[in-house]
Amino acid sequence: MVEPFTAGRSFDDEALPHLDALYRVALRLTADPTLAEDLVQDTMLKAYRSWRQYRPGTNAKGWLLTILRNTFINDYRRRKHEPVAMDLDLVEPHAIDRSPQETDPEGSFFSQIVDAKVLEAIDSLPTDFREVLVLSDVEGMRYAEIAETLKIPVGTVKSRLFRARHQLQADLYAHAVEMGYIRPREART
Amino acid sequence: MSQVDCREAMAKLDEYLKQELTPDLAAEVRRHLEHCRPCFSHARFEENFLAMMESCGRKETCPEKLRAKILAALKSEARRD
Repeated sequence: MVEPFTAGRSFDDEALPHLDALYRVALRLTADPTLAEDLVQDTMLKAYRSWRQYRPGTNAKGWLLTILRNTFINDYRRRKHEPVAMDLDLVEPHAIDRSPQETDPEGSFFSQIVDAKVLEAIDSLPTDFREVLVLSDVEGMRYAEIAETLKIPVGTVKSRLFRARHQLQADLYAHAVEMGYIRPREART
Repeated sequence: MSQVDCREAMAKLDEYLKQELTPDLAAEVRRHLEHCRPCFSHARFEENFLAMMESCGRKETCPEKLRAKILAALKSEARRD
């Protein structure tokens, strides 16, 4: 839910309830628990210092996540030497692999995959796709909130989300086949 | 009463599953899913995917040690003001 800042509410009241979400997003962005902790702490200190400059009407979670993301891009991403993936938006997606839904139309294999494998698969997506996916499907943010947080158009949010999900679903399907949770092309009549 | 077709139902599926549609639109999408087997399967597929994402992604919480460290850092920052 969007919680606008209201005059008189303390930083602690507004920001501390979002620590879990900040930590989870930091983990997904850095893929490193130690870096994630540093990133969350840096974010909270920066947020505290600019607390008086917040714009009314901003929602606290989105505001904090914007700071976290900017801090990540400016101070952390560089360390990993990861190529910026913006260009991926311009690349035509490959032919979409429909096999997960052909084999298991209702996707019951998803519930069999262990958490660690899901997280590993999320972490292997390009950062620009991963962050949209996590904000939407783990943190439950709306398209418009994500667009505001990441400073990208809503259409870009939708297309990145679409492609991130397809990539992840295909990766997890391959894993489920490998582990024997499902046999390829057994279920379809 | 307007009818939602497959194309429209699938275009609105994400917002439907996240309960972001108006009650009227949500009811129309639900009606379509009840009568269209392929769309119903597709919706179940996405639903199962989202359930997995939420249940596994949200298990992680901010470690207590980090929370304490941040509170202490904020306190010392406040004293500096």
